[in-house]
Amino acid sequence: MKRLAPLLLSIALVAVVVIPYMALGGGTFEPTPVADPCQPRDRAEADGLGETIERIALQAVDHVACELGVSREELVLALRSEDAFDRFTSENGIDRGKAEDAIHAGLVRAVDEAEDDGTLPGFIAPFVRKAAESVPPWLILETLERLGSFLPG
Amino acid sequence: MSLRRGLLGLGVGLALADSSIVTLAVPEILGQFDVAITSVSWVLTSFNLVLAVVAVPAAYVSRRRPRQSYGVGVVVFACSSLVCGLAPSFEVLIGARCVQAVGAALLVTAALDLLSQIEGGDERALRIWVTAGVVGAALGPAAGGILTELLGWESIFLAQVPVAVVLLLALRGLEARPVATPAGRPSIAANAALLFVAGGLVAALFLVVLLLVEGWGMSPAAAGVVVTVMPLTAIAVGRLRPRSLGELCGVVCGVVLLAGGLGALALMPRAGWGWTIPPQILVGAGLGLTVGGLTRLALRGRPDQVVHGGWTLSARHAGVVVGLLLLAPVLTSALDESRDEAIRAGAAIVLDSDIPPLDKLGVAQDVLAEVDRSSDAGELPDVGRALEDRPDDDEWNALVSALEDQLDRAVTSAFSGPFLLAAALALCALVPLAFVRRRVE
Repeated sequence: MKRLAPLLLSIALVAVVVIPYMALGGGTFEPTPVADPCQPRDRAEADGLGETIERIALQAVDHVACELGVSREELVLALRSEDAFDRFTSENGIDRGKAEDAIHAGLVRAVDEAEDDGTLPGFIAPFVRKAAESVPPWLILETLERLGSFLPG
Repeated sequence: MSLRRGLLGLGVGLALADSSIVTLAVPEILGQFDVAITSVSWVLTSFNLVLAVVAVPAAYVSRRRPRQSYGVGVVVFACSSLVCGLAPSFEVLIGARCVQAVGAALLVTAALDLLSQIEGGDERALRIWVTAGVVGAALGPAAGGILTELLGWESIFLAQVPVAVVLLLALRGLEARPVATPAGRPSIAANAALLFVAGGLVAALFLVVLLLVEGWGMSPAAAGVVVTVMPLTAIAVGRLRPRSLGELCGVVCGVVLLAGGLGALALMPRAGWGWTIPPQILVGAGLGLTVGGLTRLALRGRPDQVVHGGWTLSARHAGVVVGLLLLAPVLTSALDESRDEAIRAGAAIVLDSDIPPLDKLGVAQDVLAEVDRSSDAGELPDVGRALEDRPDDDEWNALVSALEDQLDRAVTSAFSGPFLLAAALALCALVPLAFVRRRVE
């Protein structure tokens, strides 16, 4: 037993560090979960037209992600450039044309909803709808962000 | 006498620091030369590989002409360091690193012989030789990081030239005698154990610094201070080690402490330098008990210290090469995987944050642009950099803090696999140790 004492002491020293680390959750990293885009999401009221347009974009992203069966975050990441969009469609096995159509349709639907519930004034809606229908998907967020920044609020 | 001892110890520390000194300079070297990320690691691997291959032949040369070998080793090391610092291409840099390793092998093996002669005894000479090498290798990454931060990666090599010239002063008035006795066969078991231990130590010496600087955004100088815990603990344990503790028992305890420390590094619950301190103390204690003990076991009862010292040098650096070749791809793959997870989680945090909707998409794009930039530069993303121009209010600060926490935890998690693999590698040393036991007892 005496011969084993140094070895047992070494094991005890390791345990003194490792056990508290494990008890504090060491080695069990879970990334922040991404929400289901098909579930309704609580949104704060938009303050002004600019914020309304961006809110429409976020709403549309939820619709399209739900329809394509991907997460909202993956879709937003895909919309940053044409390369990212191509990578997104090939990794998820989605036809590029179908994805583009879904994005345009989702945006138009979000614009319609915003116009119907009165958050987007009728005189602005046609411009936003036109942008949603015609701009390539990887330029949509940038276009809406710029459009939003020109408007009050 | 003490100046000569100090110079010889400095020479060993300087030469062996080169095995790890460019760790933090790799991204900058990558930026300067048009090479692939997988190729740039050869700046580290080539030195260790050549040192492992030439250490034993260099030891045979050094035992016959220790004074000349030391002088030639220092000059070759200094000249090749100069070429490394002025290298016009990546190929020249790698070539010079290989030559530098040849100089280091001559310098280090001859230093053991010269130390033995001026100390008048093998045991004390061996202690100085082992300690200098361990401290040099342990401080190498931090020293290289500080020089790179202050003056650029070239300064790592250029700064070594004048130091190497000073090392030649150790030869003044020194009469060295060649060793005439046959070297005998090396201790395969002790050297094999040393190889596994060195493979595990790579993780501690390289990965901890990488995690602190590249992963958690500490400055190289601050990281340098943090990682001195390992060599300081190793020196303290080496000095305080009870005499009653048998050599083999000490090494077995050291392997357990080393593997346990690496395991604890894999299980850090949060990001932050403080969490690395207890595992570093365990690793440092393991380092203090294993490297010296295994070197003494490899040399025990053998007439020629220099050649067998060369074998231990070869085993240690072969272990470093094995560690680098095993751990680098595991870390790269884990970082890629956790990077993708962190990007998705980061996008979720931005989109669900309380910042004005008008800013959300722009922020998401800025953060992603930083992710792309850091990926191209072979670095880890710095969220604070992407958001540095944002307003200083509660919503923004909460977002930056959440993003940094997510990224820190993702990076910490990515390092877990390599640390666990290194712990397993260190534990493999127990297998050859079983054979050492039979021989000694």
